[in-house]
Amino acid sequence: MQSSSKLRGLLVITLLPALLLYSFFVIIPIFWSSYYGFFEWSGLGDATFIGFQNYLEVVQSPIFWRSFKNNLIIVGASVLGQVPIALGLALLLRKSNMFQRFVRSAVFLPMVISTVVVGLIWGYIFDPELGVINAVLRSVGLESWTRAWLADPEVNMYAVAVPIIWNYIGPYLIIFIAAIQNIPGEIEEAALLDGATGWRKLVYIILPNMWGTIKVVIILCISGSLKAFDQVFVMTGGGPAQSTEILATYMYNNTFLVYRYGFGSAISTMIIILSLILILISQVLMRRKD
Amino acid sequence: MSTETYKQNSSLGFSLKTGLFKTIRVLFLTTFSLLMVYPLYWLITSAFKTNEEFFTQPYAFPTSFTFENFQRAWEVANLGQAMINSTIVTVTATVLTIFLGALTAYVLSRFTFKLKGVLVVFFMLGMLIPVHSTLVPLFTLMNEVGLLDTYWALILPYTAFELPIAIFLTVAYMSTIPKELEEAAVIDGSGYWGIFFKIMLPLSVPALSTVAILAFLRYWNEFVFALVFINDSSLKTLPLSLAIFSDGFSTDYALTMAAMTIAVLPTIVMYLMFQEQIMKGMVAGSVKG
Repeated sequence: MQSSSKLRGLLVITLLPALLLYSFFVIIPIFWSSYYGFFEWSGLGDATFIGFQNYLEVVQSPIFWRSFKNNLIIVGASVLGQVPIALGLALLLRKSNMFQRFVRSAVFLPMVISTVVVGLIWGYIFDPELGVINAVLRSVGLESWTRAWLADPEVNMYAVAVPIIWNYIGPYLIIFIAAIQNIPGEIEEAALLDGATGWRKLVYIILPNMWGTIKVVIILCISGSLKAFDQVFVMTGGGPAQSTEILATYMYNNTFLVYRYGFGSAISTMIIILSLILILISQVLMRRKD
Repeated sequence: MSTETYKQNSSLGFSLKTGLFKTIRVLFLTTFSLLMVYPLYWLITSAFKTNEEFFTQPYAFPTSFTFENFQRAWEVANLGQAMINSTIVTVTATVLTIFLGALTAYVLSRFTFKLKGVLVVFFMLGMLIPVHSTLVPLFTLMNEVGLLDTYWALILPYTAFELPIAIFLTVAYMSTIPKELEEAAVIDGSGYWGIFFKIMLPLSVPALSTVAILAFLRYWNEFVFALVFINDSSLKTLPLSLAIFSDGFSTDYALTMAAMTIAVLPTIVMYLMFQEQIMKGMVAGSVKG
């Protein structure tokens, strides 16, 4: 009896600090945010309750939906860019000799670089005058293709997605390599006896065995690219003329630049809702194919 | 390798084809790796150029190495102070993360109690929440309790958001530690705290070092929270100090490049030292999320 109450005390003492910290900073803000969404508030002075007005304004704002579309462009670019690149590389990197380990390290390297630095470097790379992209285009005679990559609203959203793709290929590559190494040796040997080599082996043996992993990676890729903010913020801040605005920069600009805390909170709540819906949809779609 | 492969490889045409394929593959992989590393290579080499050289020869290898940029960056952008701030915040938050993560993981992996399942799900929920959606409420919350513009404004939320991954990685590891060790300790008269400090903590060092490395990298590079919660320029962390280059100083390229190189160097050194651990840890963390 004495030891069970002692145990209970231990549980409370050990779990409470982590639980409080986590609840206070991660979970409670979500509810706090949806609550603040019902107020008109400039951060100073009194907040006025205005019902669903902020939420209605968010839903009716064309900029909000453009931001959402831009988020989807980043998600799409990440899924279509990162997954095939990572998968292709993994298929070429099945041994672990020095050279292949070097390739893996090089691909993973951007993961440890500050996202602010990533944004700044790529800002220079895209620079119309000094940037290496326009320089390369000029040197191969494609002068007409050069442009202000981050300013031209026709291309800037795709340009913004490139550094994000570059940034996060690494983990997916590692996951794919592990999955390929996990394909049982007997399956490969049996395939070899059946004469399956090269492309046939890839299509009939390797890819079907990896479909589960590919699905997981796609879901990770969707939820990961929904979190992108830093690179876009540093490169364009959502501009010019809000053409590269994503949900997070839209929220940031409305809250901390024009001090509409209530409206910003409503956007935050919508971000959570939309993210969860997207993740849910992707999970359901991926599961149905089983 | 089975005998079958040898037979196939022995035919001349086939081996020629494999040889060609191999060469193409190596060429392709090399090019791709260099492209991946190029932005960083460009950053670091540019940091050693003068502005004149940068403008006339932006892509060439520097003709002579000048350290003047680093010195200027250190002074102009106040990087010395930023380095101190980043170090204080990163180290404190990492220690806190390890301690709280290990303690929680110890309880979750070793005791059964009524709400354990709920608790695990509750902690894992945090990985689904986009960090930037908590900015506004956290800002107002911290404003009210007077945490804004203190080191704690970063240390506490950093730790809170890292806890799920820290707990997940540590629980997985602690579950593999045999229970006999604890039983022996109980016989020797150790209480729960004794077991935690003398057995579980030291034995979990492999998992905890992974947690520490991941936390360190994340805190060192973190930007959004610092952007919103820190206004006082004497408290700015490195990424925040660098962000001023995105408009203010952007024409002084050499200076910007040097400042970025200073900020990036510690993480690259860390990467070179703990590569395998970083890769494994980041993958485990992302799969859970």
